[in-house]
Amino acid sequence: MNSTAKELKFTSPSFTERLRGMLGVDFYRLFHTPVFYIFLAISAIIPAMVSAMTMMPDQNGNTMEPLYSNVWQIIAADESLYVINTIADYANMNMVFIFGGIMVSIFIGHDYKSGYVKQLFTTHPKKQDYMMSKSLVSAFAMACMCISYLIGGTVAGLLVGYETDVNALSLIIAILGKIFMSLGWASLYTFLNIIFRRYFGLSIASSFFFGTGILIIGAAAIVENLSLPTSFLNIFLYGASVNACLSSDIWSLFICILVSVLWAVFYNVLGTHILSKSDVY
Amino acid sequence: MNAIEIRNLSKSFRSMYAVDHLNMTVPIGAIYGFIGENGSGKSTTEKLICGHLVPDCGEIKLFGKDFTDPGVRVRVGALIENAGCFPGSSVYQNLMMQAINLGIENPDEEIRRVLSIVRMESNAELKFKKCSLGMKQRIGIAMALLGDPALLILDEPINGLDTDGMRIMREILVDITKNYGCTVLISSHILGELEKIATHYGIIRRGKMIMELSAEEMDSRAQVFVSLKTKDMEGAKQLLSGNFADVRLEEEHIRVYDVDDTEKIVDCLMRGGHVVSEIKKNKIGLEEYYVELMSRKEDK
Repeated sequence: MNSTAKELKFTSPSFTERLRGMLGVDFYRLFHTPVFYIFLAISAIIPAMVSAMTMMPDQNGNTMEPLYSNVWQIIAADESLYVINTIADYANMNMVFIFGGIMVSIFIGHDYKSGYVKQLFTTHPKKQDYMMSKSLVSAFAMACMCISYLIGGTVAGLLVGYETDVNALSLIIAILGKIFMSLGWASLYTFLNIIFRRYFGLSIASSFFFGTGILIIGAAAIVENLSLPTSFLNIFLYGASVNACLSSDIWSLFICILVSVLWAVFYNVLGTHILSKSDVY
Repeated sequence: MNAIEIRNLSKSFRSMYAVDHLNMTVPIGAIYGFIGENGSGKSTTEKLICGHLVPDCGEIKLFGKDFTDPGVRVRVGALIENAGCFPGSSVYQNLMMQAINLGIENPDEEIRRVLSIVRMESNAELKFKKCSLGMKQRIGIAMALLGDPALLILDEPINGLDTDGMRIMREILVDITKNYGCTVLISSHILGELEKIATHYGIIRRGKMIMELSAEEMDSRAQVFVSLKTKDMEGAKQLLSGNFADVRLEEEHIRVYDVDDTEKIVDCLMRGGHVVSEIKKNKIGLEEYYVELMSRKEDK
């Protein structure tokens, strides 16, 4: 009985301690499972492939028109293009948010598929721990994928022989803007995975759908037809991501940070509420 | 103060009650055998205690605190349905994740400790998907034991285990309650095994707790009977039925209930010309008690 009496001390862990524990698990898992490294590789290979593809000869043996004229166009478009006309307008670092969505879906989906989520929810009654940890770790993974994309895209662009002229400050702002946008995107994907937690396929499909920015591209087309200012599209994740381009100024970076943080808070609050009010497993 | 105290707990799925205004009390230090047929609400109750499901109404207290208190929940270990491990990760990695989650200061040492309790020290590097069912159940127990839990909730932990596996599991559970001061809530269909370790029982039916009793109470309620064999079983049964209140022919034995005087029975049979080839005093076990209780409830 002595041992029983000794054990019955219940000290509530602080929010920081709880979050540290949950983050620790997620980072450990991220670095100890192949999915993260596979997606890092994909992020580097895709821009390299897009660059290389344009140098392949067509049916008549002529080299195709290059997609880009400048190395840094693989990273971001010259200006904010909400409505895309060519694949080149679309194929830039924003694609990381599509691969990232799939990666986050696999990462979170395995929590449910394996049943490990039971262990997490047994010891973490506060659902915000789960939402925050997944959002932060996924944001970190997507930020790493952005860097991987930057390396892959730059190396490929240089090998292909594109020009390198650029406004360095705008380039840095575009890269940082997109990296900061990872938080908002990761929170969206975490939220989608909470909604579709029992349906692994649906969670991947929904992440892919949102990551492609189809909704915002559609909205942009309507706005353009109505001759409305397109800048208000920057309040959305895809809009702000597009806005981080090679003609960005510091204001664009501020918009990226603000939009990313606000959407992250929104999705975290909503996700926590849904998890608290519904059966988790 | 009790380890678990549940009052008026309900949970419904599509307006069908899986747990129906359930009351439950698990004393500290007990091994509480949670018994009920399939779909009676055992797993749902356990999931509600662990916070996996949201109750419709009712109150759950763990060690006198609300069950959503992070301080008390961090001291709960659970094995519900399966171990909840990542198949592609090793046993060690899976345990490490849970150790980090619990904020254990020296995770490596703690993992070695729980692996030795479940006798799996030599399998730490094995991938979880390569483990046998028995090993997976033991890993689940090890996972639940991390961080010195005050309460263990185990859903069918001996399902699918062979005789040796069951023995090991039994020894582990007795060891952790005796030596680590842990309270165990365990559900199982294998009542014979449960009977060997449980100190308390709760019997649930259609989501309602129909009986809670200690092992001592169970023992005192268990009917005593004398079991015997003769050549002419039917004739012997007829003879005994005229002299004793409750005589039943069950499989290969005649059972005379609520009597423990074997001499009286042998004397009666000998006077009737029957030769007794086998006779022994016995008590009905948990399984029979449970079956009888259920059939009584069914009759009502």
